[in-house]
Amino acid sequence: MQIYLPIAEIPVNIILILLLGLATGFLAGMFGIGGGFLATPLLMFIGIPPAIAVSTSANQIIASSVSGLLPNLRKGNVDIKMGLFLIVGGFFGSTLGVSLFRLLQKTGQIDIVINIVYVLFLGSISIIMLIDGIKTLSTKKYNIVWEKKDNDRFEKFLAWIDQLPWKWHFPKSDITVSVIVPITLSIGIGVLVALMGIGGGFIMIPAMIYILRMPSSVVVGTSLFQIIFIASNTTFLQAVTNNNVDIVLGFLMIISSSIGAQLGTRAGYKVDADSLRSFLALLIFMVCLKIIFGLFATPEALYVIEVLKK
Amino acid sequence: MKKLIFLAFLFNIFLSIQASASPIISGISTNEINIDTDFQGTKILLFGAKGDAGNIVIAVRGPKKNFLVTQKEKLFGIWHNGKRLKFKDSYSYYSLFSTFNDSTSGTELIENLELGKNNLKFITSGNATDDQRNEFQIQLIEKLEKNKLYASGVGKVDFLDETLFKVILDFPKNITRGVYTVEIYLINDDNLISYQSIPIYVTQVGFSAKILDFAYQESFLYGLLSVAIALIFGWLANYLFARFIGK
Repeated sequence: MQIYLPIAEIPVNIILILLLGLATGFLAGMFGIGGGFLATPLLMFIGIPPAIAVSTSANQIIASSVSGLLPNLRKGNVDIKMGLFLIVGGFFGSTLGVSLFRLLQKTGQIDIVINIVYVLFLGSISIIMLIDGIKTLSTKKYNIVWEKKDNDRFEKFLAWIDQLPWKWHFPKSDITVSVIVPITLSIGIGVLVALMGIGGGFIMIPAMIYILRMPSSVVVGTSLFQIIFIASNTTFLQAVTNNNVDIVLGFLMIISSSIGAQLGTRAGYKVDADSLRSFLALLIFMVCLKIIFGLFATPEALYVIEVLKK
Repeated sequence: MKKLIFLAFLFNIFLSIQASASPIISGISTNEINIDTDFQGTKILLFGAKGDAGNIVIAVRGPKKNFLVTQKEKLFGIWHNGKRLKFKDSYSYYSLFSTFNDSTSGTELIENLELGKNNLKFITSGNATDDQRNEFQIQLIEKLEKNKLYASGVGKVDFLDETLFKVILDFPKNITRGVYTVEIYLINDDNLISYQSIPIYVTQVGFSAKILDFAYQESFLYGLLSVAIALIFGWLANYLFARFIGK
């Protein structure tokens, strides 16, 4: 069953799009990520022009995040106060990132920069999370005690963070941290979000766990909460400045990913937090490997042809 | 019914060529291609009659677009974007039909009229040697052929008798909006005997066209609507699940 996309100007298979949305929504609900890092490349793979894939998946991320957030909100798993700080930084960061994006686009090196940024971030985050997850799980299940290695530098970094001024207490997460930390973090992540054209949940979640040291229970909900705002901002800006949002494609993705997010959230309850973390790490690691492979593999076509907007 | 109209059309052509004795006359089954939500490409029938000796050449050209061709290069084993060239105002669609044998083509007239993909003139911007330009141009044409936007060969003109001919013009599903021109030439001994040009208007219609207009003309509202739809459906899915499936 085919449908013609008015903005992308090509017909696509409805079933294919719905399945794609379902899968990314499921991940969104389960892991508290927007699912954009999966949706965007998959959309491009089925022939949607990259610019439209990036903008339209931002639109879809809103829906899957809302759908995934509400059950968390009901269970009281959202630190709204922290979320608001992250939103402020995220807005600044993503605006900065969009300018950087344009600059790199002009020189034609945006693709390689995006890929290398992906590899560096995905690679290091997933390896740290994976090691941590395996250690925790093995301790829990088999009583293996891991020698606590002094991770001096990271401990020092955390100690340095803890002495920063403007400390606020966040009752929901039960942490006291300088507001400089979440704002700086979210500016940095905001830049990456704009560069990669994604929601940024998979970077935000580890940052919340390891740097802000928020409890696992509120991390997913809080991440989804802030993603909604960042993705709405991106969608709106893309629609107004670049006319890149395909509402028909977006609508198909929205319906399916909202349903997927509901299923994912419920599946997430059944798995314990540590396993969840390891799953996410594994998933990120796999995406990272795929990108590395892509960097070195001989491209299918040695020449890339784009139609320019006049 | 269609056949009847078609026969009438044929008869008309025949009559007019007898009456006016103009060297070539032709028409197409429709001037409009409407792209709607289930557009899968379309075929248009071109019919004509020639009143003079000579070869018929038919070229179909789509609206002009700018293309950017980028060559992938390898650095330390990593592939990245290397040399790029911009092709200005190049046809987004091109197909050719001819009664010429290959050996007779390639004359000055044919070249000047840009008949045949090898005679298309491309304007490039960007620093490159002539060899590079040629290579990039070949790559551009190959890609467009792969997407069925450029015909890879010269199509045949079917003759029903001495004078009447027909050609089926094939428009794939990925054609762009705009005005296409069908040019019909009668060429004898490198002289242009007759020339006719017929426009085909490719437009988006119905739901799909309304969305396109809305996106460009009311982009502020369009942006808000996109966000609103996402918020509402995200909420709705959650509500329905909580209500009927359980929390």
